[in-house]
Amino acid sequence: MAQLKLPSTVVSRADAMRLLREINSLDDFFAGAAARKGGTPLQPPKTTKMLDQLGEINGLNLLDADSRKTLYEQLETLSRQAPSLHLSFANEPSPKAVEPILLWLREQIHPNCLVQTGVAPAIAAGCILRTPNKVFDMSMRVHLQKQAHFLNELIAGAINGR
Amino acid sequence: MNKGGLILIVGSLLSSTAAFVWLIWRMEGRGSGPAKKLAPGQLSDEAAEDVEHIFNDEFREELRNRGRLHFEKVIGESAMFLQQDLRETTAQLNDYMRSELTRTLQAEFKKYEQSIADAKQIALGSIEKTITTIEQQRQLMEQQLAAQNNANKERAIKQFEQDMASIVNHYVIKAIGNQIDLSDQLEYILAELEANKQAIIEDVRNGTA
Repeated sequence: MAQLKLPSTVVSRADAMRLLREINSLDDFFAGAAARKGGTPLQPPKTTKMLDQLGEINGLNLLDADSRKTLYEQLETLSRQAPSLHLSFANEPSPKAVEPILLWLREQIHPNCLVQTGVAPAIAAGCILRTPNKVFDMSMRVHLQKQAHFLNELIAGAINGR
Repeated sequence: MNKGGLILIVGSLLSSTAAFVWLIWRMEGRGSGPAKKLAPGQLSDEAAEDVEHIFNDEFREELRNRGRLHFEKVIGESAMFLQQDLRETTAQLNDYMRSELTRTLQAEFKKYEQSIADAKQIALGSIEKTITTIEQQRQLMEQQLAAQNNANKERAIKQFEQDMASIVNHYVIKAIGNQIDLSDQLEYILAELEANKQAIIEDVRNGTA
């Protein structure tokens, strides 16, 4: 089974679960449509842009039951096995701001990386990345702490008139 | 009253008494001249009559007056002497008392001055000792304060050196807060991710294996 390609709109495991529920509702709709009587008005469910993009970049037709089944299975696998990373920012990040980071992670780390975002105001700037076993603090706080000796040298120099 | 005054008064009294006795004896002696040969009874009567002649009431009154006058004179003189003597004695007594009092007072004042001088000396000594002690205490305290001050200063500088970086960091973080837009941080974040790329890959592989 080919690996599922994820659009940038699919960010977190919650998005994957949401897509699964959407595919389920599509299946229900088509099952209902097959069982309806002729001439009965039918209101198809609206699909999200996320699902549309997912089907498009994976070359799957969502009207086709097999394609939906394939997509469902791949998404289920993805939600179970895809590496989930947690990113904390100083404030709530916009999807547009997260997108370059997500793309970099999927290009450089793992193509199916899922990211959950959070807020940590104490870091001021930068971010904290939590992988399954490690924490990578890439915040300004840590950066400033690393530069503390340089700051001390500057202050000592200022005090001694150098 | 001194002894001389007393002798003078007693002498005056004795002389007046002696004069009075002599006068009586003399008068009796005059009547004892050659007498007529009279019978003893007649003689006695005549003598009594002569006596009555001589010492009649006027003469007796005269004598009494003279004696009174003399006695008053003696008494007056004695009183005068007594008064004079008394005045002298009083003056002497006053002088004596004055001199004694002056001497005693001077002695007491001298003792008092000496006591004051001694007390003053003791007080000065005590004050000097106190001043010396206070000065020593002050110097000791000054040294202790200076040492404590230096220790505090050094501790503060050390603390300052230790904590300054974190204070500045904290200040910078507080100051900039959420003011930096995330899109402005992308370059820094991507650079940091790039720097940690290998470690992230390894952890993701291990975590998902």
